[in-house]
Amino acid sequence: MRRLLRDNGLVLFFATIFLLALLGQAVAGFYAFNDDQVAGGAAPVSWTTYLTSSDFGTDVAENWQSEYLQFALYILATVYLVQRGSPESKAVGEQGTESEQDQRIGAHARHDSPAAARASGPRLWWYSNSLGLTMGVIFFGSWTAQAVAGHAAYNAQQLLDFQDPLGFGEYLAGPDFWDRTLQNWQSEFLAILSMALLSIYLRQRGSPESKPVGASHSATGVEG
Amino acid sequence: MRTQLALFVALLTFVGVALTYVVVLGLLHR
Repeated sequence: MRRLLRDNGLVLFFATIFLLALLGQAVAGFYAFNDDQVAGGAAPVSWTTYLTSSDFGTDVAENWQSEYLQFALYILATVYLVQRGSPESKAVGEQGTESEQDQRIGAHARHDSPAAARASGPRLWWYSNSLGLTMGVIFFGSWTAQAVAGHAAYNAQQLLDFQDPLGFGEYLAGPDFWDRTLQNWQSEFLAILSMALLSIYLRQRGSPESKPVGASHSATGVEG
Repeated sequence: MRTQLALFVALLTFVGVALTYVVVLGLLHR
């Protein structure tokens, strides 16, 4: 048990705070939702009704999509773009998908390499891009969920305000969808930019996300 | 690595189920 906790500390820690934060959002969102209901002249709803409302669904999904977009873009952009001095980047000159030898694929696979690394053709291609593809699929899935639930939540509010509901296409072209989308995107892009740039000059002793404390500012792609 | 694989599958399952739930909610409330 002790070993299980130690070996999986990072995932278990984030899983715990994720569930606590989601629970907190479900409670705070419930009170905010009922404030709006009462202000609009409607009856307050129960917590379980709120948890099965599209308001809660779209609020969760709009944040998820931007996080998965952030990682998908980061994973893909760092293949082709470098940042001199950043531990988040490969060394300058190593842009691209790299040689089979560097990537330990085909004849260069080792005895402990995943079986797909020894394969060729489509199987190797899919496995070689599986991390970015999975993040991308979850991004598009979350964005779709945000759109579908956001449309329903928006129309419920429209009816509460005695306004006409919008069609799905009209909602996708409208400001609510893009406000929810872009307010999340801008913060993710700023966070990535900050990480790539601040880590050139600043250090966090012991973190693999940082260069070693004594590494030169110009050292690129060296993790602590 | 059995625990790590179980956590990996659990995450993908959780995310998939949660997103399906949100889409179904949205469609039901249209």
